Amino acid sequence: MVWWLNRAVGSLFNLIFLPFSSLNPWVAMLAISLLTALLMLFIYKKTSNQEGIRRVKNRIKANLLEIRLYQTDLRTQLGSQKELLAANLQYLLYNLKPLLVMIVPIFLILAQLNLWFTSRPPAPGETFLLKARFIKTMDLERLRLDLETPEGLVVETPPVRIIDEAEVAWRLKVTGPVDDPLVIQVNGERYQKIVPAGKGRLLRVSTVRVKRNLWQELLYPGERPLPADSLLKQIELRFEPQRLKLLGIGFHWLVAYFLLSIILGLALKGLFKVEI
Amino acid sequence: MSGRKNEEALKRREFLQLVLGTSAGLLLAPGQAFLRTAGRKETGLKVLVLGMDGLDTVLLDRFLQEGKLPHFQKLAASGTYRPLGSSVPPQSPVAWANFITGTNPGGHGIFDFVHRDPRTYLPVFSASESLPARHNLRLGKLNIPLSGGEIRNLRRGRAFWQILEDYDIPATVFKIPSNYPPVETKQRTFSGMGTPDLKGYYGLFNYYTNEYKTVTEEYGGGGRVHDVYVIGNRVEARIPGPNNPFQRGNPETFVDFKVFIDPVNPVAKIAYQDQEFILREKEWSGWKKIRFDFIPTQGVSGICMFYLKEVRPKFKLYVSPINIDPSDPALPLSTPESYSRELARKFGPFFTKGLPADTAALENDVLDEKEFLAQDEIVYQESMAMLEEELRNFRSGLLFYYFSNADQRQHMFFRLIDRNHPAYNEKLAAEFGQVIEQTYRQMDRALQLAMEKVDRNTVIVVMSDHGFCPFRRGFNLNTWLLRNGYHVLRPGTRPEEVSLFQATDWSRTRAYGVGLNALYLNLKGREAQGLVRPEEKEPLLRELAHKLEQVTDPLTGEKVILKAYLTSEVYSGAYLPEAPDIILGFNRNYRISWNSPLGSFPRELIEDNPQKWSGDHMTAPDLIPGVLLASRPARLEQPALEDVTAGILTLFGVKIPPEITGRPLF
Repeated sequence: MVWWLNRAVGSLFNLIFLPFSSLNPWVAMLAISLLTALLMLFIYKKTSNQEGIRRVKNRIKANLLEIRLYQTDLRTQLGSQKELLAANLQYLLYNLKPLLVMIVPIFLILAQLNLWFTSRPPAPGETFLLKARFIKTMDLERLRLDLETPEGLVVETPPVRIIDEAEVAWRLKVTGPVDDPLVIQVNGERYQKIVPAGKGRLLRVSTVRVKRNLWQELLYPGERPLPADSLLKQIELRFEPQRLKLLGIGFHWLVAYFLLSIILGLALKGLFKVEI
Repeated sequence: MSGRKNEEALKRREFLQLVLGTSAGLLLAPGQAFLRTAGRKETGLKVLVLGMDGLDTVLLDRFLQEGKLPHFQKLAASGTYRPLGSSVPPQSPVAWANFITGTNPGGHGIFDFVHRDPRTYLPVFSASESLPARHNLRLGKLNIPLSGGEIRNLRRGRAFWQILEDYDIPATVFKIPSNYPPVETKQRTFSGMGTPDLKGYYGLFNYYTNEYKTVTEEYGGGGRVHDVYVIGNRVEARIPGPNNPFQRGNPETFVDFKVFIDPVNPVAKIAYQDQEFILREKEWSGWKKIRFDFIPTQGVSGICMFYLKEVRPKFKLYVSPINIDPSDPALPLSTPESYSRELARKFGPFFTKGLPADTAALENDVLDEKEFLAQDEIVYQESMAMLEEELRNFRSGLLFYYFSNADQRQHMFFRLIDRNHPAYNEKLAAEFGQVIEQTYRQMDRALQLAMEKVDRNTVIVVMSDHGFCPFRRGFNLNTWLLRNGYHVLRPGTRPEEVSLFQATDWSRTRAYGVGLNALYLNLKGREAQGLVRPEEKEPLLRELAHKLEQVTDPLTGEKVILKAYLTSEVYSGAYLPEAPDIILGFNRNYRISWNSPLGSFPRELIEDNPQKWSGDHMTAPDLIPGVLLASRPARLEQPALEDVTAGILTLFGVKIPPEITGRPLF
């Protein structure tokens, strides 16, 4: 169920980002921020009490004016402060419903953006770590473990088995284009992991494949989850993080996304007559 | 290490804390302008100078005759090849400062690796001085620096690229020694020898092992051994970083790390901060970033390499000195500041510590010969890649490019080409006896790259600052002064237990030795407890020089000191009053001993040097000249370093300033 939802949302994002794959990632970030701003304005308008928000904001303004005008009248000041507090509380309550509704799409969007902006796939000649996390009860020393790498990947080290963390790690090197997934064989069972690679400026990079679990699947929507009875909990590729560069400064995508979405949302609220 | 040595090491550490200050505090040093414009004049003629530290005429001659250096041969045939007179003394910081300023040490104020503070008689670094923030606000344990710390380049005199700048002639000067921090200029410069690691040392490695091991933390460098335990195939340890200027007492910062060892395979995963990587036994990690946080918003960034020397039966992990991160330099590395970042963007992390090869790790058997060479090969490959890039961008003016490999490898491998060296080892000689020759061949390849990339309008100059000779025996200058009555210790003192002149009776001492070639008089009016009156100075100096030149080694019958130079006779310039009074020009095979330079009095007057640091260049400069090769004929028969400076300026039609004492080479 979650996988099908992830797949649908993932396809939508593939479509959205298709025109931007060879452009500066900032363009894609601007586009998705704009779409987010529009979506959030729409949700906000449809799910909030617009009239109530307008009223309560007017009350807040009136109270602020009162405080300024009657600076010498202590009783009026205190009354206005009380009113102001109540109005603010009312304003927050009006915002609660749209915010709760917005959390759902925002969560799905963030999980998808994480795939596109967090990690940089290694170029040919570069190395990365492959980590397989097992269920705690596994005896790693007796495990029959094998790693099959597709063309374009070579295994550089024997596995490092970390018993108390139920983890096995390898170092892999990219030697060329990687088209097929790698396979970890555990006691005869085969588990695949896609190894994202490519030269585009904007790539979908799924670094983690998780075991079937609602929250884990929502957080890492890039690949079909591992079976529920799998000996593996998670397969992870440790890629280099990437930053959005602007004037020589690197920005984390999350910062860029929230800033742009908020700025665009505030800029467009008048156009769409949304009272925030 | 014996108890006495331990005690000495401790004293040295305390001393280092005194003289080095905290490099971390310097992060607050005022930054240079972010972007600047270098001279942009299109010069018809270009000058490329390859500075190859320590290239020796004797060895170069031999390899040329054997036809092993075809590109040196070609350059020599096309223009000039002759010995290049070095500085007095022929130490790298002094020699390169001569070249930088076109004058002698009296004009630039660098007389030795180590100077002394006449107020305390304690040794101080000659190249740079770091000062912590002057004003601090203290809130409980928190210490908030209210002003920037300061780091000063102690070399005086104008650098030749500053003079070129006056004429708008562009210059790129890459890693020239004696230029840390880089002097104020709009030219592109990157600091070289003298640039410290992130802790403020000249290189301090860390070694993690469960084997019993000691190493020496030398003056300004060396290493530290960390005893670790392997528990459940896991090792937990800390990497020490710079001292924290934001905490009272400036405690050392640390980064915790874990090593996970496979139960069977000789392989381990290392994890710290957001880094995770796997190393096989006998494998280098390449550069890894590391960040030391002072307070939540403040910290410094460094780079280091890990080497998993052994997993079993003993665990041995080497971590290189933490170099300053060129992409986010905590200390000044370049002019403009953006040059360092630009290089880091193009090449990723690279060595920024002045002398990158970890000779201390080899000396202490933490790295063996092969491992040391593997590390220095990384240095060479980095240098070659950057040289290629600089040559690609070399369109006008001057490019100076520096190589440290020949110097560092000759220091460490001379014992394997000198059968009479106390540390000669036949087995090692069979395996590593060709290292020096191979290094000269690598320098030839660097020259080849340069010759292929430059155009006809480029004058190529290859130069070294000094030559090399074996360091078989060490002379204890302070012991000699003590035995001859020029230095007096307090009654009841055992001389061999003294370091840093802690037991000297200054009221009766007339002379003392600090540094690698320097002798000072305890002069009234200059030293804090000066004894020698100005009118006594000259006769005393002549007496000392005469006696020192008579010292012979009872083992070989050879003179130990070929020439004791009176600085008043060989130096000129504004900084002559700061100079040592005598510079010792040792005979071939001799040098100052290991302990004498820091105010110690070892028992033996002359002792064998059993160490791997077996080649050196502290003799009389005439014995070990540098080399000069140029694609243009030189006018001077016996050129010296400062003549090259004058020659470069002349090539660009620049009027030679009066403070430059060099004669035009071309």
